[in-house]
Amino acid sequence: MRPWLGWAIKLSLVGLVVLAVFAVYLDAVVQEKFSGKRWTVPAKVYARPLELFVGQKLAKTDFLKELDALGYRREGAVSGPGGVSVAGNNIELFSRGFQFYESNEPSQRVRVRFSGDYVAGLTQAGGGNLAVARLEPLLIGGLYPAHQEDRVLIKIDQVPPYLVETLVAIEDREFFNHFGVSPKGIARAVWINATAGQLRQGGSTLTQQLVKNFYLTNERSLSRKATEAMMAVLLELHYDKKDILEAYLNEVFLGQDGQRAVHGFGLASQYFFSQPLSELKLDQVALLVGMVKGPTYYNPRRNPERALERRNLVLDVLAEQGVASAAEVAAAKQKPLGITQRGTLADSSFPAFLDLVKRQLREDYQEQDLTEEGLRIFTSFDPIMQLKAESALADTLKRLSGRKGVDQVEAGVVVTSPESGEVQAIIGSRQPRFAGFNRALDAVRPIGSLIKPAIYLTALERPSQYTLTSLIEDQPFSIKGQDGQVWKPQNYDRKAHGTIYLYQGLVNSYNLSTAKLGLELGVPEVLKTLDRLGVEQKWPAYPSMLLGAGGLSPLSVANMYQTLANGGFNTPLRGIRNVLTAEGEPLKRYPFQIQQRFDSGAIYLLQNAMQRTMSEGTGRSVYNQLPRSLALAGKTGTSNDSRDSWFAGFSQDVLAVVWLGRDDNGPTPLTGATGALQVWADFMRKADPLPLDMPVPDNVVLAWVDASSGQGTDPSCPNAVQMPYIRGSQPVAGPACGIQAPVNEVMDWVRGWLD
Amino acid sequence: MNKWLIPAVTASLMLAGCSTVPRGSIPVVDGGSSIGSAQSGTPGGYGNQSSQPQALPEDSGVVVMVPGGGGSSMPIQSFPAGNAPLETTISTQPWSATPSAAPQSGYVEPTPSGIPSGGLAMDEQLDGPVLALLTTAQQQQGGGDLNGAASSLERAQRIAPREPQVLYRLAEVRLAQGDASQAEQFARRGLSYASGRPALQASLWNLIAQARERQGDAAGAAQAREQARVSL
Repeated sequence: MRPWLGWAIKLSLVGLVVLAVFAVYLDAVVQEKFSGKRWTVPAKVYARPLELFVGQKLAKTDFLKELDALGYRREGAVSGPGGVSVAGNNIELFSRGFQFYESNEPSQRVRVRFSGDYVAGLTQAGGGNLAVARLEPLLIGGLYPAHQEDRVLIKIDQVPPYLVETLVAIEDREFFNHFGVSPKGIARAVWINATAGQLRQGGSTLTQQLVKNFYLTNERSLSRKATEAMMAVLLELHYDKKDILEAYLNEVFLGQDGQRAVHGFGLASQYFFSQPLSELKLDQVALLVGMVKGPTYYNPRRNPERALERRNLVLDVLAEQGVASAAEVAAAKQKPLGITQRGTLADSSFPAFLDLVKRQLREDYQEQDLTEEGLRIFTSFDPIMQLKAESALADTLKRLSGRKGVDQVEAGVVVTSPESGEVQAIIGSRQPRFAGFNRALDAVRPIGSLIKPAIYLTALERPSQYTLTSLIEDQPFSIKGQDGQVWKPQNYDRKAHGTIYLYQGLVNSYNLSTAKLGLELGVPEVLKTLDRLGVEQKWPAYPSMLLGAGGLSPLSVANMYQTLANGGFNTPLRGIRNVLTAEGEPLKRYPFQIQQRFDSGAIYLLQNAMQRTMSEGTGRSVYNQLPRSLALAGKTGTSNDSRDSWFAGFSQDVLAVVWLGRDDNGPTPLTGATGALQVWADFMRKADPLPLDMPVPDNVVLAWVDASSGQGTDPSCPNAVQMPYIRGSQPVAGPACGIQAPVNEVMDWVRGWLD
Repeated sequence: MNKWLIPAVTASLMLAGCSTVPRGSIPVVDGGSSIGSAQSGTPGGYGNQSSQPQALPEDSGVVVMVPGGGGSSMPIQSFPAGNAPLETTISTQPWSATPSAAPQSGYVEPTPSGIPSGGLAMDEQLDGPVLALLTTAQQQQGGGDLNGAASSLERAQRIAPREPQVLYRLAEVRLAQGDASQAEQFARRGLSYASGRPALQASLWNLIAQARERQGDAAGAAQAREQARVSL
């Protein structure tokens, strides 16, 4: 008896020591992870904030679409941040405020009055005029690390009413009384489950759940359970309930979004309701808390009935326990789930644009900084433009789908602002939600006639040799290249057009006259012009380059046309404006940079010809969809056998490049005009741009010429048209015609008579 | 009050109309037949300012580019600059470029030339958003936050991309940031939108002169100063 007891005492002493050592070790583990940075947070990527000011071109429907995407609640009277009320053309909203790179945008009550597609009034709640205000930017994505955990960190004082109470009521009623484990809670769980005959309540405390998710694996064993209980007690020993609760709210797993794991209530609120957590109402809180038990089982998108039932059960518990009044619960139970709808702006992904952003960021940051530091990336992405481009592409492809072969056609679209060089929208596939081969950036395809403006620009930079009305020959010719091969260009219609004005070669996209002009200028000279336009590819100086044998991606084409659209000032295209740290400190800026590469006079002349392309040339079908008064400039492009259908063009404030073609480089039934231009025109119709209106440069004069002879004439004469010339290169003005001539004679006669 | 308002508004509306009608009905500028102005030493061909009959007296009354209102459908709001109530002009434009540039960088004030308003601040008035953002940028620059100032100005530029005063301020901030080359580029872009606004042109040319000096281009700076003088 005695020796046995001695042994037992000794053994239990050893056991205690071992347990103590283990506890000390666990304690170190608990403290080490909890006191440091608890989570890594992926970088967040934001769209441009929508600016509001009087005179802004903005359709009310687009504005409301953006507000919906930002999770604004429609209310009769605006109650607080995130609320909006609509009364005809008057919209009142309470913005949420946001920390931007330049400044903090305050949360404020704003009244917006619309008139037509313009903002006609912008006032503060007090009635004072507001010069300019910004909405918060739409979150369009993140840069996730390998384990793909995503979260929006929240502080305990940011949580909405009822969240903590509901969580405690449902998951751990004794939370504020226990020391990490709750014998009472376990007892109650056993009793409830026994009486209900089903597993309705677990015995784990919130602290234990946190420990399990935070420190331990998913293994189910008694020793793990013991370790979990010990760690829970240790955690409670070192930290107060508030800290533990805050960690729980950020850690808990609430859903799976493809590869991305949705952790914490902050992100769950954004993910399911597109609203910040602090704005959630009782019914939404109940839904999220109810999901803790089984995020997949109760996923409200996948299993809405189940989720609704669970939510209402949670609400009943709240009424039962007096957390919320019976009336509040009854009202909350009447509400629908309120989950953002699929296919709306709030529930869309924009993989092609994010791809561009990621490429830029990876040049400037370590992968780890991007996936762990919670950086805030502010981009120029315009979700309204993106949706318009996407629907233009879808609608047009549907309209064209009767033609054989259109089904295999893929697409790439780039939309930029020519005046700032900012990329606003990108489509990388005809299924824009599909993150795969990004054709807008990576499909390098022969640009065909898109190259022609570069040739004409090279000519127009020599006003002593070439004007828009210089005569050139559109005749068949052939030349022998250095490799001995004979190059014999042909026009698309296989006809020669004889002697034409220089601009007609561009407007009608004639290959013969353009190639001949390019050879006169010299292929290396044209390549130099392309280089100045921002084309980075170094092409060999073969004559075939003059007709666009060289390949570019849609993004590179946008870069090239940007310089043409922006008065000869080159701007490197940018998708990112600036970067803030997780704490809101400025980190990096991607400044607006410009460089004048061409005389603005030569650009003015070229734009004139490119406008004629739209009004009378290969792009004229654009005006089947758009009003004639809308001045646009652009160029069609078609590669051999219609393998590539291109269109690049711009208004004053929008530049868009569209490419259609097959991934296997097979022929399509589409030319630049019948394919890409149709998408472009539909997009422009939806985007409702401002007409092109380049100020007349000081060195440009507008002269009247006879349309049939190209000689100088007078506006009174028949056939007189106005053309721009570089000063000094215009034809000498001709004498007046018609009624004016006799009048002058009469005046001379009168003068003579008076003398 | 109303007597000057009617002709001034009429004139500026007429000019505004001229500047926004589609191509094809742009009034002919009779430039005579002087040759080769494009090669007069400055890229962009601003060489022949003196020979151009562009500075109509009414021009100093053209004012605000309504942002987003470049379409001819929008009425262009305008204020006669010379006759504008002075107290509002001064008090609402603390960013006024000329005074702030003068002490910092040896900027030579252009000699007055009979333009009623004189300095850049008087050249024209800006409307709400652009004015607000230029004011913010001025405060940020004053507080030493050049990046913030540049960022606010870029915001203004997105709202009113063709407002030369925004480009002027962007050029100033770039110069203060030590990027003389970009300062010159922005000033040149500003010039392309400053037709018929001689005081603003002179200020832009003076800024180009400063930027060229910083880049060690004394001859180019002298040329730019000469342009500034001719503009007025």
